[in-house]
Amino acid sequence: MSLATGASRRRLRLGGLALLAAVALAAVLVVQFDVPLERILTVGFLNRTLMLASPIALAAVGGLYAEKSGVFNIGLEGFMIFGAITAAATLSLVGASSQLHVWLAIVVAVGVSLVLTAGYAVLLIRYKADQIVAGLAVWFIGLGFAPFLASLLWGTVRSPGLASMNRYSVPYLSELPVVGSILFNQSPLVVLTLAVVIAAWVVLYRTRYGYWVQAAGENPTALDTAGIDVNRVRYATVLFSGAMAGLGGAVLLAHAGTFIGTGDTMVDGRGWIAIVAYLFGNYNPIGAALAALLFGGLEGLQVQFQTVDIAVSGRLMGLLPYVGVIVVLTVWGKTRMPSSVGEPYESEE
Amino acid sequence: MSDDPGRTREALDRVAARLLDASVYERVGIAVGSTGLALLIGLVVVAAAGHNPLLFAQQLVVGSVGSTGAFTRTLRFTTLFILAGVAVAVAFRAGVFNIGVQGQLVVGGIACVLSILWLAPFVPNGPVGGAGLTLVGLFAAVVAGGLYAALPGVLKAYYGANEIITTIMLNFIAIGIVGWAVDGPLRPDDARSVRTEYLPEGVGLPSLVFSDPNFSILGLGLALAVVGVVAVGMTRTSFGYDMVTSGYQASAATFSGVDPQRTIVATMTLSGMVAGLVGAVFAIMIQGYFIDPSGIGTYGFDAIAVSLLAANNPVGVVPASLLFGALESSGSHVQIHSDVPVQLIDGIVGIVVLFVAAPELFRMLAKRTGLGGEKR
Repeated sequence: MSLATGASRRRLRLGGLALLAAVALAAVLVVQFDVPLERILTVGFLNRTLMLASPIALAAVGGLYAEKSGVFNIGLEGFMIFGAITAAATLSLVGASSQLHVWLAIVVAVGVSLVLTAGYAVLLIRYKADQIVAGLAVWFIGLGFAPFLASLLWGTVRSPGLASMNRYSVPYLSELPVVGSILFNQSPLVVLTLAVVIAAWVVLYRTRYGYWVQAAGENPTALDTAGIDVNRVRYATVLFSGAMAGLGGAVLLAHAGTFIGTGDTMVDGRGWIAIVAYLFGNYNPIGAALAALLFGGLEGLQVQFQTVDIAVSGRLMGLLPYVGVIVVLTVWGKTRMPSSVGEPYESEE
Repeated sequence: MSDDPGRTREALDRVAARLLDASVYERVGIAVGSTGLALLIGLVVVAAAGHNPLLFAQQLVVGSVGSTGAFTRTLRFTTLFILAGVAVAVAFRAGVFNIGVQGQLVVGGIACVLSILWLAPFVPNGPVGGAGLTLVGLFAAVVAGGLYAALPGVLKAYYGANEIITTIMLNFIAIGIVGWAVDGPLRPDDARSVRTEYLPEGVGLPSLVFSDPNFSILGLGLALAVVGVVAVGMTRTSFGYDMVTSGYQASAATFSGVDPQRTIVATMTLSGMVAGLVGAVFAIMIQGYFIDPSGIGTYGFDAIAVSLLAANNPVGVVPASLLFGALESSGSHVQIHSDVPVQLIDGIVGIVVLFVAAPELFRMLAKRTGLGGEKR
């Protein structure tokens, strides 16, 4: 149809323009303001990007599983907030700060997210709640109850300094240039994220279970005819998405070491960015992780600009990922979503 | 999600239709039931946190209607919620998810304050000049809010960018940029806190009936007038008809000659214009200057609950706003007089939204418990 081709042509033109603008801006910065590019694109920047991208990538992988199976989990942002506050509360309550306790806090956060997601899944699947409104509600509940819990525990919405996850360091190997610092002197949570992404890709595209997930979203009737309980598959993926979002929130906290409950809390839109990450990654876990890297990189630029003394307000630089999301959505608006997303499925029997 | 604008519309349809198909009694029952149950859960949480739930419930009542001061404060918040609720309802009714009312009200508010501050030196002092500046400020807010909402409208209509996410991103961006400006170029040298210059004297809405300097019956009147205009516009004009039909059945609207893309942009613009007005009323009637927007109440988000409770009907927004105005007002009371963290109220609002999203659950609950309120 002319309408569709017109839209895609417009998008293509806009995409080209956006790319041109980005390149031009970079060129102006380098030439006009003598910005040392090699001091911005450092190994440290790459490392920070990986750490910043991890929570987004985890939530994105969870969200894409749910959506692949036909349920739009728009509550990712809320579950990330629950993950972060649970991990912080656990760390604070156990009172110790060894690395083992950080891991314990992460496990507890995933467990609590699972329980909360179970209730949410029942509302969505059994009671056919509106997926968009219910997802927004999860966000609002998180925005209210996380600072509430923080105030109960610490008297303010901000936690005191808690334990954070240390990087592991492999002797000798970590001294290798570039690779050494990225592979052998890294946060274990980045490695965990990588493992989750790869496992999610394998399961989705190389196992029978992955095909069930895809079928539940594309053609639930066929799956039902084949004798597989569609809603059971959907329960599993929604639970997984909540657990991954909770894990993402916990990872965010474990890297930061402090819970911040002011404004939109420390999660600050990362759950929404995760949704865009998997759309941009075309529902492919690896694509979603790469998109998360892009948004993590945009976030990390703030620190890089500070280190080379470019006087741009940190608050303004912090807005880059949000601008990036809008550009990506505008240029990449054409993602084809699974055909049965948002439709509750009822078996004939 | 993004390749099919009809999909979000369908999703919204289901919620709206469920509520719209219900009789008025049932709708009111669901709204009251959702709020009541959410408040009950809030009280359980209060008890679980080791505080006295009965005392807390009493503080909610005292803090909202317990004194003239509390009641005026309730009306003050009600005014904001009516306008913000209408802004959301306009969009939701047309099947467009404008989650960006918070950002649009921030942009409207700062535009209002800036236009007044810039024009003030050229306008004579006194009541006439003040009234003129007030009008200019309201107008600037409407224009700025409308433009800021038109952007995600265009991105949705012509580029297929999902408006839920773009409007949420634009919230972050508006709050970030305005927050930076208020703390930087717009902050006067002698300001101890993060704020703009004070609005000149004479700008504002006179208190008239109540003695509260932060509430004017004129503000409430303005909000009710907007409700009237929007309600009539939606039911009695062809543009309103096009809008509501697009929301109800996009394909039917297209076949009957409605340009779906222009309707989306127009709807978002209209919604943003009303949202901008919220910011102006906040700046002129309540604050008297503009602050870091991350410190402004989340009226734009709570308005989503207001609109959903009212089944996205602009007239229904009024009683729903009264309820939320009372909640917000008692929040101010709780903050001072109770050890229970005030954020609980935001959480309760979230639970209300969750219940409204799942009326099925609600009907079942009503049936099981034998409460007749939700059945017709």
